[in-house]
Amino acid sequence: MASVVRTRRLLKWVGNGLLVVLLVWTLVPFYWMIATSLKKDREIYGFEATLIPRHPSLDSYRRLFATTPFVKYMRNSTIIAVSTTLASLVFGSLGAYALARLRFPGRSVIARGLIFTYLVPPSLLFIPLFAVMSVLSLIDTREGLILAYLGFTVPFCTWLLLGYFRSVPLELEEAALVDGCSRLSALVRVILPMSLPALAVVAFFSFTQAWNEFLYANVFTNSVEVRTITTGLTLFIVEDVFFWGPMMGAACLASIPPLVVYLAFQRWVVKGLTLGAVKG
Amino acid sequence: MAERRVTRRQILKTAGAAGVAATAPWWLVKTSHAQRAKKIVFWHVPNFTPLADELQKQQVYEFAKQAGVKESEVEYATVANEQVQPKLAAAIEAGNPPDVMRLYESNVQFYAAGGHLLDVHDIVEKMRREPKGIFESAMASVVYKGRAMGVPLAVNPWPVHARLDLLEQARLEYPKTWDEFIETSKKIQSPPRLYAFGMSLGLAEDTTDNVMNLLWCYGGKMVEADDKTVVMNSPGNLAGVKVIEAMFKTHKIIPPGSISWDNSGNNKAYQSRQAAFVMNPSSIYAYLNGNDQDLQKVTGLFPVPAGPKGTVNQIDTWAYGAFKKNPYPELARGLLDYFMQPANYDRIIQSTGGRWVPVYKRLFESPFWTSKPEFKHFIKMAETGVPVSYAGSPTAAAGEVLNTHVIPKMIQRVLVENWEAARALDECHKKIVEIYTRTAKG
Repeated sequence: MASVVRTRRLLKWVGNGLLVVLLVWTLVPFYWMIATSLKKDREIYGFEATLIPRHPSLDSYRRLFATTPFVKYMRNSTIIAVSTTLASLVFGSLGAYALARLRFPGRSVIARGLIFTYLVPPSLLFIPLFAVMSVLSLIDTREGLILAYLGFTVPFCTWLLLGYFRSVPLELEEAALVDGCSRLSALVRVILPMSLPALAVVAFFSFTQAWNEFLYANVFTNSVEVRTITTGLTLFIVEDVFFWGPMMGAACLASIPPLVVYLAFQRWVVKGLTLGAVKG
Repeated sequence: MAERRVTRRQILKTAGAAGVAATAPWWLVKTSHAQRAKKIVFWHVPNFTPLADELQKQQVYEFAKQAGVKESEVEYATVANEQVQPKLAAAIEAGNPPDVMRLYESNVQFYAAGGHLLDVHDIVEKMRREPKGIFESAMASVVYKGRAMGVPLAVNPWPVHARLDLLEQARLEYPKTWDEFIETSKKIQSPPRLYAFGMSLGLAEDTTDNVMNLLWCYGGKMVEADDKTVVMNSPGNLAGVKVIEAMFKTHKIIPPGSISWDNSGNNKAYQSRQAAFVMNPSSIYAYLNGNDQDLQKVTGLFPVPAGPKGTVNQIDTWAYGAFKKNPYPELARGLLDYFMQPANYDRIIQSTGGRWVPVYKRLFESPFWTSKPEFKHFIKMAETGVPVSYAGSPTAAAGEVLNTHVIPKMIQRVLVENWEAARALDECHKKIVEIYTRTAKG
């Protein structure tokens, strides 16, 4: 008995130790980002790497707001990420519902095709997509970028929601139909409220994908009025010189919105992820 | 079982649909550039000074106004250096490249070889006819098959940035030869805080530049002037590599960490006062101008020390390229001509604070260049400098050698894996021969 207790205690310590390592592994880059954004250039480039800024300064942030269109980049990223998220939820829900409930030829091929579509790397797609968007005059527009992002968020969201929708008992939906609901109404009133955890995961996934995406944003946008924060960050590298202070400041501020979204959806996200493991 | 009959009409319909589907991408790409609403599309790669960026933008709009193009018909996009390659690749493939943009060194020949650039020979000839003309060294990167396919915009010398205060403290002059350089270095350094020579030795383009620059002084080179005969395993290169090996292993004047540096490594070493000498374009000087004037005041810009074969300095050339896929080529050509009119050009050059060295020789007579001792050597460097592909031109093959880090891998064989210099050079030679042979075949 004593040995069991000892083993349990040991396992607990090992587990806690691992958690601490993971915590450090996760948090140190963020800490370093914040600390660097508060240092002056001379300290950043100094011989000794200082863990705590010697003379904390908000100069980098001042430069960021005074000399760069950082606010515009943030605004664009927000508009694009929020729009992509909403559109992914709408199209993903409709697509997943159709695949889960309706019977039509090619249904299983489409369902499988979704995941293959998602697996095609953007680095292969950006050139043909650029050609299409040029013809449609969507280059350097927010709408174009949102459409491009839907190309990878909708398949994944549909595929994820498909698993959830299949797990919702058909009888509930049939009862709604008997009570006079249309298919769309049954989806909105019955299935979606029961799939909130999945919708939270989908929303969080779409938002972070759209927020963090770089390649399409780089290739499809040109002007300050449309450019997103990820491409804006590269402007802090001029030739072979890195302006670390403002770059880290911008990166710190840019990481806040996904954090807020995650905190807002945290409860459902965790539930959604674990449910998905069983039901998907 | 009922037999399903396929009618002729159905076959024709299917074939028609397949034909449209198969040719649509080609047609879309072919017509995409003609459909655009903008008459001038200029991609701007940012400079160190916001003033230069602003002036460049002003000039684009000034020209547009003169040419009767509305502001709304001008697209002026800022494209960060890091973004250029994927963005340009997609734009070219889609048949929708910018009209004009700044291209770096071998890129002019690369895109010219692909048939993407407009011939701008007449504009360059006009520049050459200006009093005192232009630095002919800048022509190497823009001439493709005897025609200028880019407009040389600025010369980019690679001086040695040197800490004058450290030399003064040790009562030493800037070394004239590499032998003196080693001796001086040993006297002024105090490792690990301060190493003398921040030579780039990582897998980065700057390493090719730094290594080749030293090898030239010992009689080495990568390829002969015919752009065919690779001479990487020459005695000159061998002697030069041995000098670098000695600097790193025996004299220990190069920081050990330099073998993992990227292109910004030597900049950081100098900017953080951890290196007394670095070979780099004046981007470091330009950075100090805006961010650390104390260090700028004690920074001298010198030619590289001489080896047994004298001193050879590297230069790059930036050039404007005008892309062919453009429904308004005359506007693009007009814009280039406007940029390069000496009065307009001089405003931009001076606004870069010394980062861009003018291609027009006579502009060096202005007080901007004559009043500052640190620019004293620039004119000679611009006159006699050679590209990294010396004695060859900055061809597409030379660009591939640079981008695939063949030479940095060679020097790392010697410094990290302790290969004999001759063996590492042999391997490097074979790789470069393969690249030049493959590229020649097209």
